[in-house]
Amino acid sequence: MKQWIGLAARLIVGIVDVAAGAAKFPDPAGNVRQVRAFQLLPEAVVPIVGHSLPTIELIVGGALILGLLTRAFAIVGALFFVAFILGIGAAWARGLEINCGCFGSSGVPADPQRQYAIDIARDVGLLICCLWLVVWPRTRFALDNLVFPHQERLADGEQVTSTVEN
Amino acid sequence: MANKSRQQSKTERAQALVREQQRRERTRNLLVVGAVVAAVAIIAVVMVVVQSKSDTTGDEVSAGGTPSNLTGSYNVVIGKSSAPTTIKLYEDLQCPVCRSFEQVAGQQIQTGIADGKVKVDYHMVAFLDHSSTTNYSSRSLNAAMAVLSTAGPDAFLKFHTIAYDNQPAEGSAGVPDSTLVDWAVQAGADEGEVSPLIDGNVYHQWVVNATDQMSKDKVSGTPTIFVDGKKLPDVQSGVNAVLEAVK
Repeated sequence: MKQWIGLAARLIVGIVDVAAGAAKFPDPAGNVRQVRAFQLLPEAVVPIVGHSLPTIELIVGGALILGLLTRAFAIVGALFFVAFILGIGAAWARGLEINCGCFGSSGVPADPQRQYAIDIARDVGLLICCLWLVVWPRTRFALDNLVFPHQERLADGEQVTSTVEN
Repeated sequence: MANKSRQQSKTERAQALVREQQRRERTRNLLVVGAVVAAVAIIAVVMVVVQSKSDTTGDEVSAGGTPSNLTGSYNVVIGKSSAPTTIKLYEDLQCPVCRSFEQVAGQQIQTGIADGKVKVDYHMVAFLDHSSTTNYSSRSLNAAMAVLSTAGPDAFLKFHTIAYDNQPAEGSAGVPDSTLVDWAVQAGADEGEVSPLIDGNVYHQWVVNATDQMSKDKVSGTPTIFVDGKKLPDVQSGVNAVLEAVK
């Protein structure tokens, strides 16, 4: 059952990340402006962060969809969601009007307060999915099961003996 | 099941086998992890380089690529210098809320400029290229700058009005350069002068840098409306403040 929940968590985070990364990828200048709009990072690192974000999202999302190095990528994903939650929370607290730009940027949202709440709720949900995968990284239909077959058997104690007896 | 000691030794042998296998697999797994991490790192570096290479923000603008008749580097102030109130606007020609703003207040602003009640500091930007299939946002601003450069601020303002009256829907193909030339001519520009500027998208790099400047000005969306230096928190209060200023 846990493995099925893990599969769902992988797909949820993976698909959201890939969609977000793909939407951002064509507009590097826009991503830099989005990062700058949070007014948290020094200008010296704003461009490189803006240019790296879509790549990180695509890679983390792709790896989670495939189930490759699930725990490692879930940790990376969790760290990013924590950063996003802090960033959005800080912007909200300071009354900045930013559109999160998660799915490509548009104008300022009609109701920024509500948008902040929605964005934070979404990121908390995705963070929970990542944490689940950090704790229980073995999931159904994961590339990890093919690439690291022995680890899987070890974790399933009974299977080890059954394999040897065969 | 029947023989306990046989069962035990079998278990011991099995455990030894497992341990040996574990050692080998641990080495193998480390290699696999290393290979995957290395491959991912290479892909990531390539993608980030592609991103930063395709972002020309901040690249130098040639003299020919810089519009004439600007007031500052990225803005044009229209109106009598004696006007008591300054309205500062950040607008994108593709932005629907800017269009609404112009529909509600545009006419009054122009009357206010003519009457010497306000001067308007236009900061035109283009960050909505993804809202059309033809980068209308930046092409239309390039055309607006072509009009400003060749026919001056009043013609620019006319073009600005025409562009908002005829704003293409988000997600559409925008309008072709030939239409932008038509609008420019309607606004008072000379066709022979603006055509090459519009067709050649000659102010594109300036447009990119102007858009980046908006972000550096801590303005993250359009329309953003300032009256006498005070940023209005939303469009409705902006409309109210502007209409109050031109009354």
